[in-house]
Amino acid sequence: MLSQKFLVEDKVAKIALAFAVLLLLLGGLFGFLQVLSRAPGMPQLVTADLYYAGLTLHGVALAVLWTAFFIVALAVFVLTRELGLNMNGPLLLGGAVLAILGSLMGAVAILTGQASVLYTFYPPLNASPLFFIGVAIVVIGTWLISAAIIEVILRWRRQNPGKEIPLAAYGVLTTIIIWLMATPPVALIVLLYSIPMSLFGAPVDVLEWRLWFWYFGHPLVYFWLVPTITIWYTLLPKVLGTEVYSKTMAKVVFVLFILASVPVGLHHQFVDPGVHPVYKYLHTVLTYMVAVPSFLTAFNVIATLEKAGRMRGGKGLFGWVTALPWGKDPVFTGITFAIILFGIAGFSGVVNASFNINYMVHNTSWVVGHLHLTVGGGITLTFIATTFLLMPLLFGRDYIAKKLLIAIPTLWFVGQLIFSFAYHLSGIYGVPRRTFLGEAPYLQTPDAFTYVAQWAPLMQIGAVGGVIFAIAGALFVLLTFASIAKGPRIQPSGGELKISPEVGPATFLDRVGLIVLIALVIIVISYSLPVLEIYGRGLSPAPPYWPSGAAAG
Amino acid sequence: MSHGSAIHKEEKVWAAVVAAMVAVFLAALAYAAWVTGLQVPGSDVELVNPKTVLQELKPGVREVAPGRYEVTLVGRMFSWIPAEITLKDPVEVKFRLTSIDVIHGFQIVGTNVNVMVFPGYVAEITWRVPQNYEGRYLMVCNEYCGIGHQNMYGAINIVRTK
Repeated sequence: MLSQKFLVEDKVAKIALAFAVLLLLLGGLFGFLQVLSRAPGMPQLVTADLYYAGLTLHGVALAVLWTAFFIVALAVFVLTRELGLNMNGPLLLGGAVLAILGSLMGAVAILTGQASVLYTFYPPLNASPLFFIGVAIVVIGTWLISAAIIEVILRWRRQNPGKEIPLAAYGVLTTIIIWLMATPPVALIVLLYSIPMSLFGAPVDVLEWRLWFWYFGHPLVYFWLVPTITIWYTLLPKVLGTEVYSKTMAKVVFVLFILASVPVGLHHQFVDPGVHPVYKYLHTVLTYMVAVPSFLTAFNVIATLEKAGRMRGGKGLFGWVTALPWGKDPVFTGITFAIILFGIAGFSGVVNASFNINYMVHNTSWVVGHLHLTVGGGITLTFIATTFLLMPLLFGRDYIAKKLLIAIPTLWFVGQLIFSFAYHLSGIYGVPRRTFLGEAPYLQTPDAFTYVAQWAPLMQIGAVGGVIFAIAGALFVLLTFASIAKGPRIQPSGGELKISPEVGPATFLDRVGLIVLIALVIIVISYSLPVLEIYGRGLSPAPPYWPSGAAAG
Repeated sequence: MSHGSAIHKEEKVWAAVVAAMVAVFLAALAYAAWVTGLQVPGSDVELVNPKTVLQELKPGVREVAPGRYEVTLVGRMFSWIPAEITLKDPVEVKFRLTSIDVIHGFQIVGTNVNVMVFPGYVAEITWRVPQNYEGRYLMVCNEYCGIGHQNMYGAINIVRTK
């Protein structure tokens, strides 16, 4: 019986999934309050202290933790079913316990007002050591889980010489490789700079710190995205009764993500002083390289949908679109809406990546619109729709009120479209991101300044969209927890689902070690120049301050 | 080759289209930066001590030639020093910016001026002011800098006499 074979793995997956949904609730609640707080004329429910503490929690709980814990649940479930092997129990359990412990430490520090530093925690803004130590413990926890994942894949390859890695497992492997390449520098700057700053008031060089933070910060995006497109390549065709249009191109895409997702961090620092424009342009080129696999994915996914639509009798140029089960299957509808949202985000992403065009939108609400369409739209909606399948398999309980499920992706989609339209446009008008606009003095007299009169109406439209997808999120959390507790029993928990296309012989795309080696060479090339510049010039550390404005040194 | 393991012809065509598009975009960005001068900041930088920067840098406006200004601005939690600037018939303005405490972001709403402001570093950004720019523009802090971040702003007045 399978449910007996993966007892420990399924326990970890269940805990990770339930904790992820809890974090979605916590982070989403503050998102709901913020979208109102940013819109003059809407109900102002928070103070500045709570706004920024809540904004920190919103970013940490949603962008970092909800995604990471969902990915752990997905990865463990997919690998055990695709490979048919047990994973290293102590590594998995130990990693999960550390990750949850670190998350709780961070959450306590934020909610008690001791860490209002946002999820980027740029020094020299100071926070409680509890927050920074929590961050370090989460990272260590993820490394243990990563080790368990790498170990089971290596063991499977030893037992299956000459076979290609199943597509879904390849996606998981790509995710973990990106995570392991990206996280060591951020762990180091937390250990060497943020913790000593917090404990002893030690000064920090902000440019050096930001270089290594964004070395991690952009691949973090691909850590979310690669499992998401793994779902698009495997689970989406599965629920439509077909296979991905091109399995080979899907793997090529994963290889390109391994090669180009890390050496691009400077595109977050286009307007930083102290980094030469030529090095910024080099990272622009590499960022454009990493847009290529996204374009290839768009083609492959749409071709897969066309195949499924034609199987259902769709004729002519666009007949296959209407032949798909829109509004009937919540998993299909959710994932496809997610793909559309992500596609739109691709356009604003290219603007962000575009070097000198970036200063039109840098640190404006445009970026908020982009980030919500990507991690909140394409990625989170994919994860929500996947939970519709994954939760019943893991917990052995079906969803209650199944007819309501379709409302979740529909409201989420509509809300995201309204929100991101308003936020993108207001960014062009110069609305700053991360700002408690409800109390901003310059919005008390908006007509005094050029452009500022356009802000409030757009922020109000954004609030309407935000509230709509907050309702969708609340419905999702409510139905998921109610179903885990009281849903009708369907079968013993630990169900089975194979999602990869049939496994063929290994090709050069399975020489993962070589691909990682090439990726490391590209990283060294792209980062050696700014590293030589910044360290060669000498550092200029600055002493810490509390978010209140008081000196902390 | 088994079914599904080849790369389809349509995909190769699409990949070529994408590659061509990327090349055109990158060429356009480089042209804008190094030929027309729409460059990102970063080539000029100076290290300073945030503790003594107010005395050393002397924030304020200097007209170095007719219509050509050099503006030195210092960010602090939660205001710009100076918070009110007036420029008469500006053609080109060089901003020099730093912070005495944490990271700030300097943006003149409605313009290309958008640069990070770090303690320990002096950032430089040059603004070529379009002829039709006149009136009062908001200088906003666009990087979170603490609990009073929303209170951090200033104004730049552009006066035209000809």
